[in-house]
Amino acid sequence: MSQGNDCSTEDSQGFRLVRVRGEVDLSWSQRLRKAILDALGSGRPVAVDLSAVSYIDSSGIAALVEGFQNARGKGQRFSLVAVSQPVHAVLELARLDRVFPIYASLDAAAEAR
Amino acid sequence: MTPAHPATGAATGEIGPGEIGILADFSHAFVASMDIDETVRQAVVKIAEHMNAEAAAVFLLDPLQDDIVCRASAGPVDVVGLRVQRGRGIVGRAIAYNRVEMVRDTAADPDYLGAQKGFPARSILCAPLDTAHGPIGALQVLNKRNGQLFDDHDANVLRLLAVPTALALNNARLMRELVEQNRIKREFQLARQMQKTLLPRRRRDFPLVALNVPAREISGDFYDFFVLPDGRIAFCVGDVSGKGMDASLLMVRASSCLRWAGRDQLDPGAWLARVNDELCETVVRGMFVCAVAGYYDPGTSVVEFSSAGFPPLLHRDPEGRMREILADGPPLGILPGCTYPSQRLALGGGSLYCFSDGVTDVRSAERRPIGIEGVRELIDRVAALSPRARVRAILGHLRKLQLADDTTLLLIADDQQPARFLGGIGGLSDPDNLRLVRKLVGDVLQLLAFDEGTRQRLILAVDEAVANVIRHAYGGAPDGHVDLCLWLEHGALRFELRDEAAPVDPQCIKPRDLSECRPGGLGINLIDAVMDLWYFDQPGDGQGNRLVMIKKLPRIG
Repeated sequence: MSQGNDCSTEDSQGFRLVRVRGEVDLSWSQRLRKAILDALGSGRPVAVDLSAVSYIDSSGIAALVEGFQNARGKGQRFSLVAVSQPVHAVLELARLDRVFPIYASLDAAAEAR
Repeated sequence: MTPAHPATGAATGEIGPGEIGILADFSHAFVASMDIDETVRQAVVKIAEHMNAEAAAVFLLDPLQDDIVCRASAGPVDVVGLRVQRGRGIVGRAIAYNRVEMVRDTAADPDYLGAQKGFPARSILCAPLDTAHGPIGALQVLNKRNGQLFDDHDANVLRLLAVPTALALNNARLMRELVEQNRIKREFQLARQMQKTLLPRRRRDFPLVALNVPAREISGDFYDFFVLPDGRIAFCVGDVSGKGMDASLLMVRASSCLRWAGRDQLDPGAWLARVNDELCETVVRGMFVCAVAGYYDPGTSVVEFSSAGFPPLLHRDPEGRMREILADGPPLGILPGCTYPSQRLALGGGSLYCFSDGVTDVRSAERRPIGIEGVRELIDRVAALSPRARVRAILGHLRKLQLADDTTLLLIADDQQPARFLGGIGGLSDPDNLRLVRKLVGDVLQLLAFDEGTRQRLILAVDEAVANVIRHAYGGAPDGHVDLCLWLEHGALRFELRDEAAPVDPQCIKPRDLSECRPGGLGINLIDAVMDLWYFDQPGDGQGNRLVMIKKLPRIG
């Protein structure tokens, strides 16, 4: 049941930007994983906008970790931007909040280059 | 001992179709054999014929007697059962050097032991029966017919025939050992079943709850309780020194002694003294029993008890203060005539925990025994639960660590309140149902005084638990069944998640090291971080697994 969930990719400010919306759980995390890996396939810096994610579980976090490791292996940039409070709480709980490069907005990520 | 033909192994000699034929016959006979002794007997007859020898025999090492014994023979005299000292004779030499020995003239060989049962050997050919763990015996032929002598060709043929013979005898030996192991295992299982029947049946809403987890198949720990005609409940818990069959037999004796003496409603000290005298008459020297015995009166909340070398009892009062009560007498079965003082304790709405040293000896993640401090901490963490849930949660938690010994826990609870059912959901192991699970948990949590952050984390932990069942217990199959129930104990929320999947080893379910950054395996860490306590077990009522997670309610005011 993935009503309200959405995942789209666009180019913005030099990033391949993946926008995620809704509740990311086991029923939907594979979609997020594929979107992230596809975006990384472009070879360009990737940012994942998590502002509209109201829930994420460890399978969603695993998709982010896989993307991050994949990018690092290729020397590619991978950032999380506009992380919503529920997502931030889970990243903190998993002690991953200091592992990912996290920016308040895409602008902030672009400036940090 | 001097090897007569050191270079025999390097001998040359063509292997012809006749040898291939007998080799094939042998291998087939051994594979198809239902009776290895009979097959070996037939084999030596064929070997003697084929080698054109007057006699043939199979010798095997006997590790118990440390000698070599003849298992099968063919020829004018039967030498089955003949024993040769290890390392002696031509057969001993073939085994010791693990190579073919050829003696063309026994009179010239100092190792020849002389005629056996009146049958003189003029020439001998002997090949070791080699296995991956060294020779297990030897195959021997004596006196080539028509006055001929054994040659290098014969040596090669015998060496060849020794191969399937060694393989078959070794397999038969391994099979016998396996059968023996299985027999012992079955006997242990029967002993365990019998021990279980000695334990009292569990009773619903009873103030005494106990559980026992044996370290091996059988336990040296025991407990018992029964209601006396005046309404008091007699109880005892014991721990027999040592492990294994002797300890478990003593456990049966000690527990029946304690039960028998407890029926007389003696003062607890006199009760233990009587059992001590009884055990001292029969116990093997060096074995003893640590025990505590007494009565709990639900009317007055008073426990009267006496302890014989048992680990300290822990009393927890309703305010959470804990007190250790030490043993006042030596263990049972060591010295007759010992006295055991009785103690009285008013529970006053609190609980008394009696546990065998297996509980304090459980190893923490750092491999140190958790000790009495670890037990106190654990009792604190589960204090808000109903008595049965408390005992289950403590042992469930201990099972996640390393149990080194029989582990027994008996709880006398003067503070029991029934648990209240808050809600539940059952359905298929389909990830699409996770949203419904989160909705239910969210709705129930609205009724309780958790802050928003804790509420979110609890929803996450339950979602993770259900996702783990879907992914790991059912391997992703969406047609399994999952049941979630939420219970309110008098100070905690208990989430109980059940599945009908094949049993999962609780030891496999552990949080992983968070310092390694990798996708996957995070769920248990999140559950561990959010819940006050969780454990995983197989409920006794059949197939499936159960995960229990506990979160204390926030203190109000």
